[in-house]
Amino acid sequence: MNQQQKPGLLVPALIGGAVAGVLSGIPLLGCLCCLWIIGGALLAASLAAKDYVVSMTAGDGAVLGALVGIVAAVVDSLVGLPLQSLNLQLMQRFMERISEFSSELPGNWRDLMQQGVNNNSIAFFLLDLVIKAVVFVALGALGGIIGASLFGKKTAPAAGPQAGGGPDVPKDPSHS
Amino acid sequence: MRTDAKARLVYGLTLAGTLTWLATLVLAPYLRSRGVRLNALIYSVFAPTCHQLPLRSFHLWGFPMAVCGRCTGIYLGFLAGMLAYPFLRRVGREDMPRALTFVILSLPMAVDALGNFFNVWSTGNVLRFITGFVWGTILPFYFLAGLNGVFVKNDGESGTEQA
Repeated sequence: MNQQQKPGLLVPALIGGAVAGVLSGIPLLGCLCCLWIIGGALLAASLAAKDYVVSMTAGDGAVLGALVGIVAAVVDSLVGLPLQSLNLQLMQRFMERISEFSSELPGNWRDLMQQGVNNNSIAFFLLDLVIKAVVFVALGALGGIIGASLFGKKTAPAAGPQAGGGPDVPKDPSHS
Repeated sequence: MRTDAKARLVYGLTLAGTLTWLATLVLAPYLRSRGVRLNALIYSVFAPTCHQLPLRSFHLWGFPMAVCGRCTGIYLGFLAGMLAYPFLRRVGREDMPRALTFVILSLPMAVDALGNFFNVWSTGNVLRFITGFVWGTILPFYFLAGLNGVFVKNDGESGTEQA
């Protein structure tokens, strides 16, 4: 595909990444984190596909999804900062319920949780960000490729020398 | 580097990464059972992608794996898809599976997850594993298509749907 025919991927990636990052950063909703990233990449692919005059390739979807993953990791980390105390309260309630049924939890789990919150240095934040970015890029790329497959297909014109041929045939006859 | 060699390299590295990923899932409970503190780092790596609830996870050496039963199924399904890939299609292709195939393989997991989410039913870890496994088998066919599109770039064979 001609590079000039490729629309910008940044805006869809920002939108998809922001949506995925916010949703994955919110307590309780974060349980579906993996699906939020893939869902954000699907959203970005559906937005980007509208601007394509030709079919999105798997490579386009992968690049778009990877960008979504990076944006989502940053947004998720930023959203998580103010919500951390709320997250802690919810997690404590959840752990209390779990501890009623399970003997696996260490006796000092409350202290350990509080200690984890107190370890909030910039180094921990950055380490967390890097880990999230790596994982989210892989998941985002996967979502972007699936999105390209689901939303990025453009049908070729019914008539013409390339009808029924490769999927990179431009939708607009003026491009052929 | 020739296109075929590049494609094989992409496949090989993805397979190696998948095996490493799966080994890490097993390593986490093992290290925890041995009291090695590195286990906390492994659990935290997987934390952004999974709720890691002990009740919904398989246990090894007395401790939960690094991800839940459904995620374990997805990752093992991914490995199964990776191993089946060279027998089903040429390594290096950029075209992707049909949308209908994706929908059919996603349906069991989607139905199971929605039923559990809305408390219509509560399935055990084995069924969660199986539905995740089924979904995971299709994922390498997308993932490798994307990697091939970025790193291999077969001229004239890119596209969105397989024959």
